[in-house]
Amino acid sequence: MDFDDTTDEAAYRARVRSLLEEHAADLVHLDAGEEAADAAEQQQALRRTQRVLADAGLVGVSWASEHGGQSGTLAQQAIVNQELARARVPTLINHIGLGMCGPTVVAHGTPAQHERYLARLLRAEDVWCQLFSEPGSGSDLAALRTTAVREGDEWVVNGQKVWTTLAHVADHGILLTRTDPDRPKHAGLTMFIVDMHAPGVTVRPLRQLGGQSDFNEVFFDDVHVPDGDRLGEPGEGWRVALTTLLNERVAVGGGGNDLGLSVESLAALAAERVPQLPTDRQVLARQALGRAAVAALANRYTGYRRYTAISKGGLPGPEASAGKLAGTTAAKLVADAGVRLLGDDAVFSRGPDGDDGRWQRNQGWLPGIAIAGGTNEVLRNIIGERVLGLPPEPREDKTAPFNGGSR
Amino acid sequence: MNFELDDDQRAAAAGAREFFAGSTSVADARRALEGGPVTPGRQALADVGFLGVTVPEDVGGAGSSVLDLAVVAEQAGAVLAGPSLVTAARAAVLLADQPDLLAALADGSTGYAVLDGPAPAIDAVGADSFLALEDGALVLGAGEVATGEPLDATRGLGSVRLTSRRVLVEDAAARWSRARDVALVVLAAEDLGAAGRAVQLGIGYAKERTAFGRQIGSYQAVKHALVDAWVGVEQLRSLVWWAAWAADAAPDELPLAAASAKAFAAETLERAAETCIQVHGGIGFTWEHDAHLYWRRAKVDRFLLGDEAEHLDTVAGLVLAGALST
Repeated sequence: MDFDDTTDEAAYRARVRSLLEEHAADLVHLDAGEEAADAAEQQQALRRTQRVLADAGLVGVSWASEHGGQSGTLAQQAIVNQELARARVPTLINHIGLGMCGPTVVAHGTPAQHERYLARLLRAEDVWCQLFSEPGSGSDLAALRTTAVREGDEWVVNGQKVWTTLAHVADHGILLTRTDPDRPKHAGLTMFIVDMHAPGVTVRPLRQLGGQSDFNEVFFDDVHVPDGDRLGEPGEGWRVALTTLLNERVAVGGGGNDLGLSVESLAALAAERVPQLPTDRQVLARQALGRAAVAALANRYTGYRRYTAISKGGLPGPEASAGKLAGTTAAKLVADAGVRLLGDDAVFSRGPDGDDGRWQRNQGWLPGIAIAGGTNEVLRNIIGERVLGLPPEPREDKTAPFNGGSR
Repeated sequence: MNFELDDDQRAAAAGAREFFAGSTSVADARRALEGGPVTPGRQALADVGFLGVTVPEDVGGAGSSVLDLAVVAEQAGAVLAGPSLVTAARAAVLLADQPDLLAALADGSTGYAVLDGPAPAIDAVGADSFLALEDGALVLGAGEVATGEPLDATRGLGSVRLTSRRVLVEDAAARWSRARDVALVVLAAEDLGAAGRAVQLGIGYAKERTAFGRQIGSYQAVKHALVDAWVGVEQLRSLVWWAAWAADAAPDELPLAAASAKAFAAETLERAAETCIQVHGGIGFTWEHDAHLYWRRAKVDRFLLGDEAEHLDTVAGLVLAGALST
């Protein structure tokens, strides 16, 4: 047992670090919780950042070289992620594309689709979004009602998607539709790649609980999609979507990384604020700090176990979902301890005396973290049934025709 | 990075599981409450080599690591075995330069208990030699044990008044501190085993028992409670391994890791045991069922070697002093 890089990993890390230093001037850097002043400007800067990193060989590290990647290992990708965080480079703008859409296109796309989309995705020339959830089908994704009807060489799409992160800046999306309502709900679905600039696509940003607008609702009114942009066979959409969802489980919290502000950020805040508190309040603040730190460390070291498994060539299984559950718990403890250390400023989104509001913003993220990427309840079902072997709930909706009423 | 057990450690875990299956049972923990012996008992643990895992080979031990001992301790905890390997681990550190005393630890001829002032000490019942820190010195002596009606008889808890003492080491504060941290790790490892087994008992029952026409484990209310308890166990496993590794390979990290593991263990075992009882329903609340024996272990262990509040405060102090900055 050890926590050291292997010789190869150490050499790779050193190369990544020197590349990040070499290109530092062309990359966006942000402190944890810091917000850019101008959103549009930031978006361009983030696209440039990803392009620079891609050209340096630091994006899509574990993707095959025939798809524009580096044919590296998942462990190397993890090293790049660690070094990007260390260099204060924010989440890549195309993280949905890299984490979910791209792997789905790789797994189910035709050679022509690979050629057309993957290299541009890696360089953020096209930003991608994932058009899955609908107003009437979130956790029960296969109950979706957006339709695609075949007309010659095209499909005509009508319906509405929601909670679509990045749709307002995206160029393409992977779109799950119902193409055969006479079949059971999972069997009548088909996946497409859709051009987000096509006529009939309308994107409306949604404002979140915390006031920011990172996700959207997307309307499809007679949108024409060429059959060449179908991803997988008609009726195979659920199988294609499972590839996306599997990758999502790993991308969201599977690595044991902090969801929200890190425990190190909390430690820095606490070192400044705790000594200023009256003695009796210090006792309470230290309990909260200790509890948050223990939860964050437990989650971090559990992530190291999964990292060990993938660095030996294993694939992340359903137990990766546990990382998001534990990560959510830890993030809430960290966030709450942080906000409480602000004292009177905690009742403002941004305090009057110069606090930058990062802990309040962080607090405003947390309800969403427990919902995004598979709600924590759905993840508990996955762990309960696939890891612990508990029986599933009886369901009638899996076998009856979708339009027969058992939705 | 290689954060998992190696093949030898996995084999050791399997061997320990087999040994405990043949030498003790959870039912023995119930019998101990009714006046029966604590099993497998000191001599059996010595004979199989578990009291000497971290004792050097030249005095009869295995000369192995704290991590190796934690692997065995997890299996001991799973069946609520006694006496505790915590005492063996702690005494092995304290007696590091006392070959005769170490040999007597490893071969089981002396029963040690380690005292933290007047607090009830683990395995004081049945011990004949007591180790304590007095005025910065490590002392060894005989003592009188006062004990109450046990909540978990396998822990052998008693308060001890020393009736004789001889100084083993004059300036022993640092050694004492390390020994206590190692003890925290092994206690957390025993709790890991107990918590894991309690969750497995609950899972097994949730697959068998039917209500309203289906297995109760199919209901999300039951399923999610078991998942949360299981996630806690896996999180605890990571802290225990990290802390045990630190004890061997990174002594600077040991205080943070050991306090984290012990604090997390207290909460995790309690939740696991309480979930186990709740999933079982009425039968889980009976004397005959094993569930309460895990619950008893949880309710006792959370206070041993410092409660959760003490260890969270230790973690906070270390974090405020920069333990997380690299």
